Amino acid sequence: MPTFLEILSRQWPRFLEESIEHIQLVLASIAVATVIGVVLAVLTYQHERAASIVLAITSGILTIPSFALFALLIPLPLVGGLGFRPAWVALSAYALMPIVRNTIVGLRGVEADIVESARGMGMSRWRQLLRIEMPLAWPVVIAGIRIATLLIVSIAAIAALVGGPGLGNSILAGLARIGGAGAVPLAVGGTVAIVLVALVLDLFYLAIARFTVPAGIRHD
Amino acid sequence: MEAMIRLEDLTKRYPGQAEPAVDGVNMSIPEGEFVVLVGPSGCGKTTTLKMLNRLIEPTSGRIFLEGEDVTDVNPNQLRRRIGYVIQQVGLFPHQTIADNIATVPRLLGWDRRRINERVDELLDLVGLEPATYRDRYPKALSGGQRQRAGVARAMGADPPVLLMDEPFGAIDPITRDRLQNEFLRLQEEIRKTIVFVTHDIDEAVKMGDRIAIFNDEHQIAQFDIPEALLTAPADDFVRDFIGTGAAVKRLHLSRVGDIELADWPTASTATDPASLRRRLTESPRSWLLLLDQERRPAGWVTSQSLPSDAKAAGSLAWPAPSSGGGLRTEPVTEAVSRDATLYEALDQMLGSRVFCAPVVDDQGALCGVVDVDALAKAIHEMRSSQNGDAPAGERTEEEVG
Ligand SMILES: Nc1ncnc2c1ncn2[C@@H]1O[C@H](COP(=O)(O)OP(=O)(O)OP(=O)(O)O)[C@@H](O)[C@H]1O
Ligand SMILES: [Mg+2]
Repeated sequence: MPTFLEILSRQWPRFLEESIEHIQLVLASIAVATVIGVVLAVLTYQHERAASIVLAITSGILTIPSFALFALLIPLPLVGGLGFRPAWVALSAYALMPIVRNTIVGLRGVEADIVESARGMGMSRWRQLLRIEMPLAWPVVIAGIRIATLLIVSIAAIAALVGGPGLGNSILAGLARIGGAGAVPLAVGGTVAIVLVALVLDLFYLAIARFTVPAGIRHD
Repeated sequence: MEAMIRLEDLTKRYPGQAEPAVDGVNMSIPEGEFVVLVGPSGCGKTTTLKMLNRLIEPTSGRIFLEGEDVTDVNPNQLRRRIGYVIQQVGLFPHQTIADNIATVPRLLGWDRRRINERVDELLDLVGLEPATYRDRYPKALSGGQRQRAGVARAMGADPPVLLMDEPFGAIDPITRDRLQNEFLRLQEEIRKTIVFVTHDIDEAVKMGDRIAIFNDEHQIAQFDIPEALLTAPADDFVRDFIGTGAAVKRLHLSRVGDIELADWPTASTATDPASLRRRLTESPRSWLLLLDQERRPAGWVTSQSLPSDAKAAGSLAWPAPSSGGGLRTEPVTEAVSRDATLYEALDQMLGSRVFCAPVVDDQGALCGVVDVDALAKAIHEMRSSQNGDAPAGERTEEEVG
């Protein structure tokens, strides 16, 4: 009978492939969530009521059990079904809250004098946002994106339930034949790989922050 | 000539407030004039200023810039014609000083070369060495340097008008004084039309060609040249606001170069002690001012500082040896330049053992002194000329030029 480590090492091409799928799924979801989240935040950060409504809805999404959300998506046209798409949609929805929240907080945190002097020099509203407010809010926004990523890296394992890609498949396969040969190494290997994926993505964000936060507001 | 800025019945009512924040302000500001808005907290100075560049929209009334009614024009375009400096400066922390200063030129679509030249020119103008400061971020500047960068940024596209809201309010008193003087010198050069807000009457008197005092009813209580404000306050509010010491404040308004200076006995540093002693006994003063070859004040001597034995020392070269029977001189620390104010001269005088402030020209050579008599005479003349209104009118004409 093969040992735990032998099974792990025999399975490693599978873990690698699933890790790459996992990362793709997570980043595709983060991309969608960032676009939607930042737009929602920009539209609402100056209006107390609108902002709290958006925050309530996006937080509400987070309270739906992930298993249930994936299952609920199956019968829906366009966004639902089986495979990559429902997983993508569900993970994007989960990632919204930290991104919206941090973008609103970041934009509100830009000092009023700075915005006023931009306005006082004749910058259009759009240009103020793009050139002044967003760059200054960026460290907080990127922190929100990072938190959202960590959040959905683990939720993404559930995607396997609806036929989605990623490391959830190893875990699911392992759990399905629990008691059988190689079941535990498969489930444990998938889990460890998820943790590693999270670490890799975190380093990736550190690098992004390093290169995108303007030098004048970096603390180093 | 058409005024640079004209306000007609400008009024602002914030929604849900019984009293207007600014009530029916009329004002006409000629080109190149430095106008200060002053008054107690909440009287409407900032609101008035921000209506000029439409950061706050007036409830009623009209605003004219260079004769053009700008009350309803596109505010962004209007603001690019008006420099704006606020107390906290509001430099963009994520942009270099050069990028900050380039803000308005970029909005106006200048080409890169022209922008770079303009940035360096402005940095020079406000006394920041371009090579050193161009690529720095605001966090790497001191408060005073940021303030200067803020002024440079406001002048980016050479707007005819500068609006400044307590620009020196958050700066320590010593630096503030220096920045005020620097800015006055700069204004000599650039001759912008400036509207400047402060709640400090001393700053207003020091900086303004004309001062508008706002009262608690959010109206202008008096709009006049500083001399007139100090000598003829329009009502009790203005009198109270100016407070005590109006007479002393007027000393801020005259420059040493404008008054008749007094003479003081002098001697060359090469004079021998015996002659010095003789000069001292002949003179009504108990101190002699020693001058070097270029007629620069080099020290004070009094009879006690001469060697008791006049023969002990021969001809004395300055600096005199301070011991060994040589001449003991007191250093001259109280010299002032011709463009110092009488207030500064008085300050130096009071701090001087000799009770006299030597006045020197740009090369440091003596032109005369301010002493108690010279000061008394100047004050007397100030008072008598104020009683007739002529000088006030003259000054306004001159400023309008
Ligand atoms: N956005 C606003 N909404 C309602 N009221 C306002 C607003 N801004 C200012 N006010 C009121 O308008 C009045 C004038 O305010 P303003 O800021 O012009 O005063 P100020 O003269 O600049 O005072 P300070 O010296 O304290 O800066 C004040 O009574 C203030 O409470
Ligand atoms: Mg104010």
